[in-house]
Amino acid sequence: MRLFVTAARFQLRHLAGSPAAVQVCVTAPLLTVVFLSISDYAGRTDLSPYAVVAPTLMSLWLLALHAAGELITEERDLGTLEGLIAAPARLGTVVMGRMCAVTAIGVVSFAESWLAAGLVFGRWLAFPHPLVVVACLLATVWAAAGTASILSPLFVLMPSARVIQNTLSYPFYLLGGVLVPVTFLPGWVQPVSRAVFLSWSADLLRDGLDPAPVTDAVARLAVILALGSAGCAIGLMLLRRVLNRVRRLGTLAQA
Amino acid sequence: MLARLALPAHVVRHSAANAFADMRAIYTWRTWTFGWLGRMLAQVTFFVLLGRVVAGPEHATYLVIGNALMTCVIESLTVVASTTWERTAGTLALLAAAPAGPTWVFLGRSLQWPVSGTGTSLVALFLLGPFFGVTWRPEHIPVAALLVVLTAAGTYCFGLFLAALVLNAGRLRNVVPGVTALLMMAFCGVQVPIGYWPSWIGRIADIVPLTHLLHALRALTEDASSGYVFARAALGLLVGVFWLVMAHLAFESLLHRGRRRGTVDFDP
Repeated sequence: MRLFVTAARFQLRHLAGSPAAVQVCVTAPLLTVVFLSISDYAGRTDLSPYAVVAPTLMSLWLLALHAAGELITEERDLGTLEGLIAAPARLGTVVMGRMCAVTAIGVVSFAESWLAAGLVFGRWLAFPHPLVVVACLLATVWAAAGTASILSPLFVLMPSARVIQNTLSYPFYLLGGVLVPVTFLPGWVQPVSRAVFLSWSADLLRDGLDPAPVTDAVARLAVILALGSAGCAIGLMLLRRVLNRVRRLGTLAQA
Repeated sequence: MLARLALPAHVVRHSAANAFADMRAIYTWRTWTFGWLGRMLAQVTFFVLLGRVVAGPEHATYLVIGNALMTCVIESLTVVASTTWERTAGTLALLAAAPAGPTWVFLGRSLQWPVSGTGTSLVALFLLGPFFGVTWRPEHIPVAALLVVLTAAGTYCFGLFLAALVLNAGRLRNVVPGVTALLMMAFCGVQVPIGYWPSWIGRIADIVPLTHLLHALRALTEDASSGYVFARAALGLLVGVFWLVMAHLAFESLLHRGRRRGTVDFDP
């Protein structure tokens, strides 16, 4: 745990004022404005929570993807990747600590989106279930970091995997129902969507902002955490295998 | 006159060869088609689905046209990031010293983006659009394609101007195009008509080529007179040329200042 916290603290210092963090903080309220303008123009003021939930989840996923891509690339560019791997500290714990720290910054976008909805459109959303919202955001940070960690090994093998990083944004938002609930997607897509943590996070966050009682909150949180943990387990297993391979071949530092 | 244009055209052509070499290094046809194109079509679908849920098929049609054209805008604005690659590669000082005008070099240097963006928008409009209720009359297709090309080109010129500003603030190279694209998406008639916003926002939107060219495209799909479509397209083109001139002035001023202060190679 100490190693996890140290890695997270290091990453937060490293990240302060980074372009990725700035980008997410600037784009989240703009996305809220875009989504709210569409629903407001159509006279659907009841859908305001959608416009706050979607930018939040988009920011979290974007930052997780960014962390998965940049973590290895940056270490390689700085010439510190070999040192990181040779150190006795568990690499998996360091990677997850750093990825969670990056992703956690996305939580700021929730506050920004909420403020944008209030300041620009006068929609000050209430928090009828604050505990559910906070717990869901924290679970989503873990799930986003865990799922994106699957990509980290790819960046060790092929730096050109950046194309994949760029590609996994909107298809994932669509599949995860971050803006439009999964129930509006074609029937054959829905089972696939349910395997994506974003669909559970989006539904629970929207319910958390709705005055109606939230059903099965604990079970739904458990699903988000389980999906994130499964992603983390797969990601770390792949990372170990890939690192063993590049160490055997002596190609670790090759970009 | 032709002789005076021959040299810049030569510079643009050689610079564009670099641009397409970059494109080949980044994408194969497979990663472009199944990766990039798929991502952009997903983005269009993402916004259109919201329109369908909140307002029904009619607004979905409005959204698909706006967001399909928006894809070429997003790609063309990548010029802001790729122009800064010259500084990273250490070639900016050579460009500053070379007798070729920097504007022509930079005009060709990122041409892969508007070309790729045009392809993306055409697929989104003509292949994805019909799934969401957009219908095209055969005689409208070449005009719509031309409007896409003009939008990509006009936005590219606007992006070049932003690139000249961002050359000295390389850390913002991805932030500026991202934010600019979102502002255009919000206020240039992509998601909701410009009239939805206060009038002062509409006046600012008028200095963006997308505003006029998207208006022309919508007018085309609504069977407006060809004179009206032509007038709006010409206005969009004119705004694009204005930004090219501004980009020229900005590049010249930037490199002139850099040469005088000896800071061409530094990101202040």
